[in-house]
Amino acid sequence: MTLASQNARQGALPATPASNSLLKAGVIVLLLGVGFLVLPPLLYLAGSALRPGTLGALSGTTILTLAGKSLSLAALATLWAMILALPLAWLVVRTDLPFRDFCRWLAVIPLAIPSYIGALIYIALLGPVGMVNSWLGDLTGVPQQWVNIYGYWGGVFVLGLFTYPYIFLLACGALETTNPAIEETARSLGEGPLGVFRRVTLPMLRPSILAGGLLAFLYALSDFGSLSLLRVHVFTTEIYHQLNTRFDQSAAAMLSFVLVLITFAVLVGQRVLLGRRSYVTVTGTARVARPVRLGRWRWLAYVLAGGVLGLSVFIPLTVLLFQAGSASQFADVFLEQWGFFKNSLWTAGVAATIAMLLGLLIAYAALRAKGSVGVGLSGTVQIGYAIPGTVLGLSLILLYNTYLPWVYGTVGVLILAYLIRFLTQSVQGVEAALGGINPHLEEAARSLAASPGAVLRRVLAPLVRPTLFAVWALVFISAMKELDATLLLRPAGFDTLPVRVYIHTVEAEYAKAAALSLLLIAFTALPWLVMTRLREKKIV
Amino acid sequence: MRSGLTIIFMRVAASVLVLAGIAGVGAVVQAEAASDRLVVYSGRKEKAIKPVVEAFTKQTGIQVDLKVGKTSGLANEIRMERANPRGDLFIATEGGIMEILAGEGLLDPHLSPATKAVPGDFKSATGTWTGISGRARIILYNKNLVAEKDAPKSVFELTDPKWKGKLAIAGTRERTSLAWVSTLVAVKGEAFARDYIKGLHANGLKILSDNTEVWQGVGRGEFAVGLTNSPNYYLAKKMGLPVGVVYPDQGPEGFGTPISANAAAIIKGAKNPDAARKFIDFLLSPEGQRILVTADYEMTVLPDGDAGEALSAKSIKQPAVTEQRLAGLAEPTLKLLAALSPDW
Repeated sequence: MTLASQNARQGALPATPASNSLLKAGVIVLLLGVGFLVLPPLLYLAGSALRPGTLGALSGTTILTLAGKSLSLAALATLWAMILALPLAWLVVRTDLPFRDFCRWLAVIPLAIPSYIGALIYIALLGPVGMVNSWLGDLTGVPQQWVNIYGYWGGVFVLGLFTYPYIFLLACGALETTNPAIEETARSLGEGPLGVFRRVTLPMLRPSILAGGLLAFLYALSDFGSLSLLRVHVFTTEIYHQLNTRFDQSAAAMLSFVLVLITFAVLVGQRVLLGRRSYVTVTGTARVARPVRLGRWRWLAYVLAGGVLGLSVFIPLTVLLFQAGSASQFADVFLEQWGFFKNSLWTAGVAATIAMLLGLLIAYAALRAKGSVGVGLSGTVQIGYAIPGTVLGLSLILLYNTYLPWVYGTVGVLILAYLIRFLTQSVQGVEAALGGINPHLEEAARSLAASPGAVLRRVLAPLVRPTLFAVWALVFISAMKELDATLLLRPAGFDTLPVRVYIHTVEAEYAKAAALSLLLIAFTALPWLVMTRLREKKIV
Repeated sequence: MRSGLTIIFMRVAASVLVLAGIAGVGAVVQAEAASDRLVVYSGRKEKAIKPVVEAFTKQTGIQVDLKVGKTSGLANEIRMERANPRGDLFIATEGGIMEILAGEGLLDPHLSPATKAVPGDFKSATGTWTGISGRARIILYNKNLVAEKDAPKSVFELTDPKWKGKLAIAGTRERTSLAWVSTLVAVKGEAFARDYIKGLHANGLKILSDNTEVWQGVGRGEFAVGLTNSPNYYLAKKMGLPVGVVYPDQGPEGFGTPISANAAAIIKGAKNPDAARKFIDFLLSPEGQRILVTADYEMTVLPDGDAGEALSAKSIKQPAVTEQRLAGLAEPTLKLLAALSPDW
């Protein structure tokens, strides 16, 4: 059997004493660095939340109701995202679906569409006076409200639609790196295709699905922009409301603190789910599986892939193009706002690169360091994702402006905010990939007298590299579209693209907002395009 | 022998340090280059304020960095930056918030011939802030849904069942909505205001997140009637939306139409106070007023200013309430509204 079921975290590497102490020192430095990054805003939050009399006009019941609503909405959005992501991932990685590489590339575009822009698009389409209602009204001669996107279910619909690529990306990566020989063996031992999927493929995919699902869930839980536009009253909108109507921020801090606690509970839950069992591949070759022939099922596959991509890519882009006006207006916007493109690109690029490298370090340290240190390390990083952007922005203003004034007021503070918010995407991704590699693999290579460099180059790097590129793209995309914290932390005069989209939307310059959104989406998707091309040419 | 992993560790860590260093240096260089520019925090729309900024730079040669956001968000930012202020000048959408900031000692007074010309209702008694333009609290209606003769002439008609399910207003995130309710409380008393707002709720009043949603919603016909600010009427009209406007409660016995002042103030500890003073005086100059009035249909605050297409403030009957009183009422009004609906 090549499938070893064991707890990877227990299988720590028996390293030499020298490298062991270096590793330990490295872990401690990392822990301090990450703690310094994430903990001050958290402590500030806890400090202002736990002052007496902080509830203000909020009752305990309101908080419970909001928490229930936020959690159920995030859970349903994640479920919807899984329904969208998993069949599509399987289709593009494991079957002979035509244009599957192109579909695979397209399926990631929704990540480049900020959910607030997605919400605006679907309001224009499915709002009470949206395009669909007026078409249906004209068609049937009955001018009534046929559809209405506003509200809870609209929130679920839009958030699932624009977060499913988190699950899709990691599921594709996992489907590619899990050894197909295991499935083939199971089939040869008499399992049917469904049985193979349920008993072999799914368990091996589980860490990735859970990691992707967690990203989608936490995104939905902390999303403010789209839910506010869709008129859904949840935790984050209440926090924003408190922050923007009153100057005593303790109620907002209290709410944010509860949100962070909820996230913490979710993370612990995920650890428990994942920690119970994990699967590691003992062989080092990530052989490509033989594609399943779709045969007469292909029509169903077309409908499925077309439906998912239609709702999440084609329809939104068409609506934006429709709103953006002529090509020359488009060019004008591009030239006029070129400076903001540069701002967005370089801040997101630097943040993504640092996050990728730090993610590798942290994920490795967390996996190989025994016990609670590792869990604490990656847990701390994850908490940053849970602090709503607006709250994070305000607490960073206070902390950095008071204690590190030479960082605040520079672009550095933006990059720090992106790291706090998105480092976990990189850590999660790398952790999921590293978790699939048996530590004994490196050990075996070394005992066969391979030099350390060779172990790195020939054993670990090929197995992790696709994931590293994927997490770089993930963080880049997230940072490119970050709005809430950027609005507060940007130095005056240093607007980013999402800030411009926000300003033009608020000021009802929809054509400009649409043109900029399209350009934002194009620039965000660009690294993904480049990466996929390089991948096809086997350069990476 | 060091393990391959330790080597990865060290290489990657070194790369992180180098990158962070580059980013840090880049950021500091960029910040240094920006330090002698006037930093304006504007809660007022970019479209309304940028033309004035450009004219100011052209006239004085002073470069301006503009940070546009929501008034309340920027005010929070100024409070958080207290220890080391980053902004020089704050432009807010109403005066009450300036009174709150002034009360916390966050603003520096500025008195000049230009500010003296502003009428007393539109500026601080102590010179900490001055109105630069005004916006009236109007009733906006959709002409396809409401005939001109049927349009409500008073905000107090809106509790009538015939408007059921047809009304929209922005929540208190828009300071002008809060100021409007506070004005009701100040003039008519808390009990009256509560009953009136309850009546609006009974009529299905829809509370939206901002004024843009209100005027767009009315313009597109999602709502027949909206309570919003006067420039939005002109904006909607310019976009070709079928809207009409009522300056409500103008009769001799009427409550009046409240006017909010867009206000400017110098932030205490500003790095460029002189440039900030020049900018305020420029806003109040005939040219500054002309741009504010034409760029966003605001009302001039100067008694002899050219009103342009919009009405002039002095032609409108207003309820008599000071901004100081409104600032004091902000928190009780928020409590009153929160008790009626969480959507406020």
